[in-house]
Amino acid sequence: MDIIKQLLGRLHPLLVHLPIGFIVLGLLFQWYDRKKEVLKQAVALIYLWATISAVLACITGYLQYTSEGYAFDSIKMHLWLGIITALFSLVMYLRINEKRSPNGLKIIPIGVLAGIMFVLIAFTGHLGGIITHGEDYLVEPLPNSVKSVLGIEIFEEKTIVLNNENWERALFYEDVINPILNNKCVSCHNRKKAKGELVLNTKEGILKGGGNGEIIVDSNSSESALFTRLILPKDDEDHMPPKEKNQLTHGEIALIKTWVDQGTPFEVSIGELNLSKELFEDYFPKKSDFNFPDKAVEVVAIDSIKLVKNAGFHVEKISKETNYLKVSCVNKPNFSDKDIALLKPIYKQIAILDLGGTLITDDIFELLISLPHLTALKLDNNTITGSKIEKLNKLEYLRSINLTSTKFDETNLNKLEAIPSLEKVFLHNTHVTARSVQYSIPKDIHIDLGNYELPVIASDSIIY
Amino acid sequence: MDYLDRLIQEKLEREAQTKTRRHFIKECATGLGGLALSSIFMGCDPLGQPKKKTALAFSERDLNPLATLSPPHNPKVKSVIYLHMAGSPSQLEMFDYKPTLQKLNNQDCPASLLEGKKFAFIKGVPKLLGPQAQFEQVGESGNWVSDFLPHFKNVVDEVSFLKAVHTDQFNHGPAQLFMHTGSPRLGRPSIGAWATYGLGSENQNLPGFVVLTSGGNTPDAGKSVWGSGFLPSVYQGVQCRSQGDPVLYIDDPEGISRDLKKSTIDAINKINKEEYLKYADPEILARINQYEMAYRMQIAVPEVMNINNEPENIRQMYGVEPGKESFANNCLLARKLVEEGVRFVQLFDWGWDSHGTDHTTAVDLGLRNKCREIDRPIAALILDLKQRGLLDETLIVWGGEFGRTPMQENRGNKEMGYKGRDHHGDAFTMWMAGGGLKKGASHGKTDDIGFSGIEGQVSVHDVHATIMHLLGFDHEQFTFEFQGRNFRLTDVEGEVIKEILA
Repeated sequence: MDIIKQLLGRLHPLLVHLPIGFIVLGLLFQWYDRKKEVLKQAVALIYLWATISAVLACITGYLQYTSEGYAFDSIKMHLWLGIITALFSLVMYLRINEKRSPNGLKIIPIGVLAGIMFVLIAFTGHLGGIITHGEDYLVEPLPNSVKSVLGIEIFEEKTIVLNNENWERALFYEDVINPILNNKCVSCHNRKKAKGELVLNTKEGILKGGGNGEIIVDSNSSESALFTRLILPKDDEDHMPPKEKNQLTHGEIALIKTWVDQGTPFEVSIGELNLSKELFEDYFPKKSDFNFPDKAVEVVAIDSIKLVKNAGFHVEKISKETNYLKVSCVNKPNFSDKDIALLKPIYKQIAILDLGGTLITDDIFELLISLPHLTALKLDNNTITGSKIEKLNKLEYLRSINLTSTKFDETNLNKLEAIPSLEKVFLHNTHVTARSVQYSIPKDIHIDLGNYELPVIASDSIIY
Repeated sequence: MDYLDRLIQEKLEREAQTKTRRHFIKECATGLGGLALSSIFMGCDPLGQPKKKTALAFSERDLNPLATLSPPHNPKVKSVIYLHMAGSPSQLEMFDYKPTLQKLNNQDCPASLLEGKKFAFIKGVPKLLGPQAQFEQVGESGNWVSDFLPHFKNVVDEVSFLKAVHTDQFNHGPAQLFMHTGSPRLGRPSIGAWATYGLGSENQNLPGFVVLTSGGNTPDAGKSVWGSGFLPSVYQGVQCRSQGDPVLYIDDPEGISRDLKKSTIDAINKINKEEYLKYADPEILARINQYEMAYRMQIAVPEVMNINNEPENIRQMYGVEPGKESFANNCLLARKLVEEGVRFVQLFDWGWDSHGTDHTTAVDLGLRNKCREIDRPIAALILDLKQRGLLDETLIVWGGEFGRTPMQENRGNKEMGYKGRDHHGDAFTMWMAGGGLKKGASHGKTDDIGFSGIEGQVSVHDVHATIMHLLGFDHEQFTFEFQGRNFRLTDVEGEVIKEILA
């Protein structure tokens, strides 16, 4: 029986369109026929159908209300107005069908009745729409400026920004959890809309819970719906946010979990809770660790790139997000020192330069200082000794130099110190020894001497 | 003869009868009308502009489909080395340490785990099988590694583990396709094809996407796991051999000089270019380029594929076996190729399907041998890339197509002579190492017996999204239009695994 009730209930959104259609049709006919009055019988018939279908709509509507778990408060206006509309269409029928019309009714002008009918059907229909689509369905597409003029509450996206100085002082709820809930949950769970009777933009709302009870249980995330609903499979009906809505990221889910496990602190700072910084990593400003300077450079002309390409270099923008270039001699093994002049049109844009396996000599260091933004430099597999490497101290962005398989001499190690931003030097397969590195290189430059070994062990030769 | 003539006559008459004047007029209405209509509506794309023939305006990519393009976002790595253990290694003997499983060894598997699950071979109620290896926490990260992989312990701090990867396929072929193309069915481009299509290749003398296989067999899913799917075929992987000629027929045939070959290729390409101007079919360009690249490869490939040129200490570190087909050789080759600017190197090692049907597939015997074969080479590959400054710009991915069950396989519902594990896709281990990744991280957890992921579960699509992210792509934006819609490697899923990004 419940199934039939539920099924009939679900027909309500379909059936309601019948009385709406009939009533609108009746009103239109009445307007068209206002002078000649030849369609009276037809109009009366239309209102009779309207009455019948409106009654059916009322019945199915009531069934839907009872079987789908709507709160009475949220539908009562629609329910009462629906019934009134049904009754009023009967009134219209009686008023127009003069044979059956009670005398009292005839006194009221038909135009007034039609007006009331119109208001009733429009308003009842609108209330029904609000129930299915939500209160702000109609106005949602409007721009925020128009919305605020209309007095509609806007849940603007809040951004969370933390930095190394302030993150411990930031309030866990106010500065992190509240914005997450605001951005991903509150558009449905606010005081006006309150889907599932749950309000998530106030402390009281969160603690009170929703129609299914409390959403935070014993400060235990695995029993608290505020968290468990988030990690259900997306196809699960109970998964939140609903599949088609903007989902929480893994990081946000982890933060909600932590907040619940910490006992949902509302006024406590992140530092007091002793939480790890990793949890909040997403909100720290991104440190640029790419191989190009952290400042803009003008774009290089396509013709210049073509010119360099035709000279046999491989040239490409590091990415479409930057104008810095990466240049390599992978297809130009006969590159020698003087060829650097071929790169002149793009000197300023080169951030990554690979001269590995070419014919360069130690004179290259003097020439390289014309590339002011050089960040990563590869000079592997050749015979340079590094005797003029100190020249590179003019390159303020140079972060790494690859000198593997060269004749780099350890007496030149101390010259590396002069290069201001240098972080990494690769010296595998050179004559540099670990001892000399220890003596001549400051600790903030990481030297990789390579020559790693994997000693032979017994199990290497055991065959099972 | 007469008979035949009559037969032909009859056929012509019949044809004439079916095609009457009335028929012609009727056909005109629909046929010609339809033709006209289709040109008005531009095929399936009613609003689209007529496609302009670009034949005369060659862009760099037109002439060389492997010309490089810059990625949309700043990349962390420029090359990828993907190590695939075909057959699927047992995470429970290598990385996913489960002491509880040891305690439950030989007990019946709880029915709740088996409900609604499908296994390739397990029938009825199987018994749990404890780990067959000794585990140890190693490195500064303290991640677990078994004694099957002693050399790997040296590089554990370079690696980011994904302990709870899941796939929805439980047979090799579809699962391998899924792992490499994002779909368990044929027809999609492989990760390497996407990468080469999106970025091109820096070295003009080498293919952008090289495939090397070892273990005596190629993957069950066939060459589609390095195929180009609906992308132009030039982006498919080029399979090279580590035994014999690296590429078949790379030597000049007897009596044909290189000059003659060059002029032959020039002539063929000239004709092909004329064809292209006529038909504007990109496949012709792919062909032109293949010819030219094949010619250049004749010099470059034997050079780069020759591991004998490497110094003795390097060869020892990898444990290479020159002249043989081995995973160690392939690892060394992978480094050499990446060093030369190859975009994507795909290694397949066959023989990891540890069902326990015989000695070689027993998790306590054959699996140990397989582990020994990859242990030294992988550790060497990571260290060698590191000392050359290449690890920061290379991504290494390791994994199988799925994992293996915590239960002992009971093929045919009988106890088997050797210890083996069945296919299991719910939770298995993969790892990545290289640029843009955390070092020594471990993301995801499995339950006490390693059956399901309980934390940090990631899907195959998530792994793909992460690879694309490191190469400088937003996996949701990197698409190719095919059959009326935009396709991407991750289709409609995938989330970058931020937890392992540096």
